[in-house]
Amino acid sequence: MRSAAAPGRCRPRCGVFAGALAALVLVAVLAGCGREAGPAAALTVWAHAGQAAERRVLEAQVARWNAAHPEARVALTLLPEGAYGSQVQAAALAGDLPDVLELDGPYVASYAWQGHLRPLDGLLPPDVIGDLIPSVRAQGTWRGRLYAVGAFDSGLALWARRSLVEAAGARIPAHPREAWSAREFEALLAALAARDPDGAVLDLKLNWQGEWYTYGFSPLLVSAGGDLIDRSRWRAAGTLDGPASVAAMRTVQGWIRRGYVDPNLDDAAFVQGRVALSWSGHWDWPRYRAAWGEDLVLVPLPDLGRGSRSGQGSWAWGVTTRARDPRLAARFLAFLLRPEEVLAMTAANGAVPGTRTALARSPAHAPGGPLHLYAVQLTQGWTVPRPRTPAYPVITSAFQQAFADIRDGVDPRAALARAARLIDEDIAANAGYR
Amino acid sequence: MPATAERAEARAAWLLSAPALLGLALFLALPFALAVALSFTNLRLGSPLPLELVGLEQYARVLADARFRQALGNNLVFAAVVVPVQTACALGLALLLHGRLRARALYRAAFFLPVVFPLALVAVLWVLLYAPGPGGLVNRALALLTLGHWTPRDFLHDPAWALPAIMVTSIWQGVGFQMVILLAGLQGIPRHLYEAAALDGAGRWARFRHVTLPGLRNPLVFTALVTTILAFRLFDQVRIMTRGGPAGATTTVVHEIFEAAYVRAQAARASAMTVIFFLIVLAITLLQRRLAAHRRWAG
Repeated sequence: MRSAAAPGRCRPRCGVFAGALAALVLVAVLAGCGREAGPAAALTVWAHAGQAAERRVLEAQVARWNAAHPEARVALTLLPEGAYGSQVQAAALAGDLPDVLELDGPYVASYAWQGHLRPLDGLLPPDVIGDLIPSVRAQGTWRGRLYAVGAFDSGLALWARRSLVEAAGARIPAHPREAWSAREFEALLAALAARDPDGAVLDLKLNWQGEWYTYGFSPLLVSAGGDLIDRSRWRAAGTLDGPASVAAMRTVQGWIRRGYVDPNLDDAAFVQGRVALSWSGHWDWPRYRAAWGEDLVLVPLPDLGRGSRSGQGSWAWGVTTRARDPRLAARFLAFLLRPEEVLAMTAANGAVPGTRTALARSPAHAPGGPLHLYAVQLTQGWTVPRPRTPAYPVITSAFQQAFADIRDGVDPRAALARAARLIDEDIAANAGYR
Repeated sequence: MPATAERAEARAAWLLSAPALLGLALFLALPFALAVALSFTNLRLGSPLPLELVGLEQYARVLADARFRQALGNNLVFAAVVVPVQTACALGLALLLHGRLRARALYRAAFFLPVVFPLALVAVLWVLLYAPGPGGLVNRALALLTLGHWTPRDFLHDPAWALPAIMVTSIWQGVGFQMVILLAGLQGIPRHLYEAAALDGAGRWARFRHVTLPGLRNPLVFTALVTTILAFRLFDQVRIMTRGGPAGATTTVVHEIFEAAYVRAQAARASAMTVIFFLIVLAITLLQRRLAAHRRWAG
């Protein structure tokens, strides 16, 4: 009885509900159309919605451009960072890319190979290109052509508590040339651990996973004489699983095995004083400075034999092959690379200014400044760009998995051999990405 | 005359089921047919290279991949443990909450609550519960229970413990759903059967064995089937809690498919994995149905 009565009673209500739903859909569609039909933008720009401070600066920059160039209005669309790559990829498949696209540095080659990016060499004025710091230029270059330019680059090194390191009897290297050797670093870890209640003295940010593993730890492979891939023959076997790379990962595994590394259940190991050293980037500077003030010091990553090596790379801008007016798009990029715009951005996100002019005007990065090491690393060749090849998405995925396994105690040789096989298989399946 | 009526009825049946059939065809059959077709190609998302037919090469690669076989093994172990344990727990809970109990609704709600939580939230919570070191809640609880004989572990990074840890989380999250179905089944067993059994001198155990269990046959078969399918679909907990680690100890087929398709853009390889997986799950489900159909409850 009940079940028979129910539909009858429900019908009018369902009708109202369905009507409301239809109205809602209609409103949404109309609103969407309205936005499309508004004053046509001369330039559509997609960017990732990063930290709030970064987002605000970008919005202010677009507002400044629009005020100065009412005839060439920029329409900015922010997409969530987590799904940015897949959304852009989907738009590319559908032929819906904007005029100007923000992309993560190591993916430049992949997008360029897919034919979505237009070379910037002839579009941007030579003096703008010449002003880029070497790392930014390297990141945006693929097969001899520049496809992307970034307003800033990232800095990677060890944050240390000066007092604790000195109490452990270690020297404080100021230049990558003077970096701690692997043996010195391990002695320091042991000395620090002896004075630490739980023996964990190093923060490797193992909680970040993802791209961090490749960004933060692949420089160690190069420092030991290995690499993610042989960058002339584009083969991973023999390099990623070669003796030098295996030794580098064994070293890291050793730190974890001996209990020197914080388990990183949270992101507060360094600010809470649980560890003396934090393997991290420029983005932690505001937080760490607030926690430790003058006791905070930046030191280069340890030297595993062939000199200290650090990471580089960050978000960058490209002009798509869909761009209706590539010259205008390039003018907007040149605007974002003006020293005052670069500095407005780096003041907000703490990154290293991506042009020499802006870098020279940044006191924190000047000699004697607390972040000078980043400038030295990025401008004097102490950093390694992640491999610039369309195979990068597979390279990073394979290495991340290998690193996670090594962290969990798998033999580095086996973990890296599997990664190398995955990478080479992918390159072969793509006819060498030629 | 009856023939035409039957035909008219058949027509009405087709007409009425058309929308649902269309939906199934569009969102289930078609994508699967595409997956079968794509698995014979070398399709990569976003690649400018021409699409080529590669025959069975993707299948050969998938079957040669030790990680895929490991994932399949993990799925089987997971299903073999979780399906019986979760069903037994659900049955126990349902029996407890079926009887006369104070604040029965409150208990039922409490046990059902985890089903309502998004899996992602449950997984994040359990990562915190499994925290390594003596400070972790699970570690501390076990130390308390064993009077300090427990050595703290890093559950999610220990190859021996990671999969069991995910099993516990999954059972905790899923048991409420089965419990509700079994409760409904319990309420459907006529009271007079129990009375008759009692008159015949059946004890509690005999009544459970010969009245309750046969009465719950259909709900039990249903929940076991659904749990099996969910066990093979295992992904969310793995992605959030371990990403398939340590060393593949918790990876599952769906996780491997996800990695291939969305991380490495190897759409064709992922399609081949999907087809293999579909056939295996289909075989297991058919087998299970067969067994369930043939099983006779003793008595």
